[in-house]
Amino acid sequence: MEIIEEKQSGINIFRLNGRLDSNTSQGFEQKLFQAISDGSKCMVVDFKDLDYISSAGLRVILKATKAIKREDGSIMLCAMQDYVKEVFEIAGFDTFLPIVATMDDALKSF
Amino acid sequence: MAKKMYSFELKSSLSELDQLCQNLETFGKKFGLSKKLIFEINLALDELFTNIISYGFKDDKEHVIKVTLTPSNNELCLCIEDDGQPFNPIDFETPDVSCSVEECKIGGLGIHIMKKLMDEVCYERCGDKNVLNLKKKIGKDES
Repeated sequence: MEIIEEKQSGINIFRLNGRLDSNTSQGFEQKLFQAISDGSKCMVVDFKDLDYISSAGLRVILKATKAIKREDGSIMLCAMQDYVKEVFEIAGFDTFLPIVATMDDALKSF
Repeated sequence: MAKKMYSFELKSSLSELDQLCQNLETFGKKFGLSKKLIFEINLALDELFTNIISYGFKDDKEHVIKVTLTPSNNELCLCIEDDGQPFNPIDFETPDVSCSVEECKIGGLGIHIMKKLMDEVCYERCGDKNVLNLKKKIGKDES
């Protein structure tokens, strides 16, 4: 999986490309937690080019959401493909994680 | 669709998840299965495989996990065999997923997802092997 990181007016954006599973989730976790420990309060994860997610990926998203909330920050998830969104729904994560349709919606929320 | 079998073996290493994905894509093309169905069986098998690798083996030896897929007209049978510690996912407690971020615990999430994706889950311990048989119905729009 490829992770492209960028910063736009104080917001950390992570664009995921490929498959987020137990092989790749650790690298993603490190990047998210590095940004949190660097003081990031606003994060967006762009799922547009993510083809696959397993519970290992959900676990990282949940862990990072909890960690950034403790710092009074927030994380937005955007542009999920239908199959990927379904995994969040099966897990029940869609009820408490902020999932929005587009990157614009995510950026506007801060 | 005639009754045909497709099977492959995975080594006991998480890097074999790529092999799992490639095998399922080949299988899906061969039998003309939808991308959605392939995604769902990939996810169910990924969760089981990851679970076996993470908790199943108490030694450092290499083990083999065997996957057999049998498509028929209206369902797909999946069988996954390993020689790890006895583990019956049916007995596994379903985590409470209807909770807030602060309360939500993660344990057992993969097994919960696998059960939700499959229509039938049947476990047997045969000698020193775990044999898990799964069934997934194939809708008309998905075959």
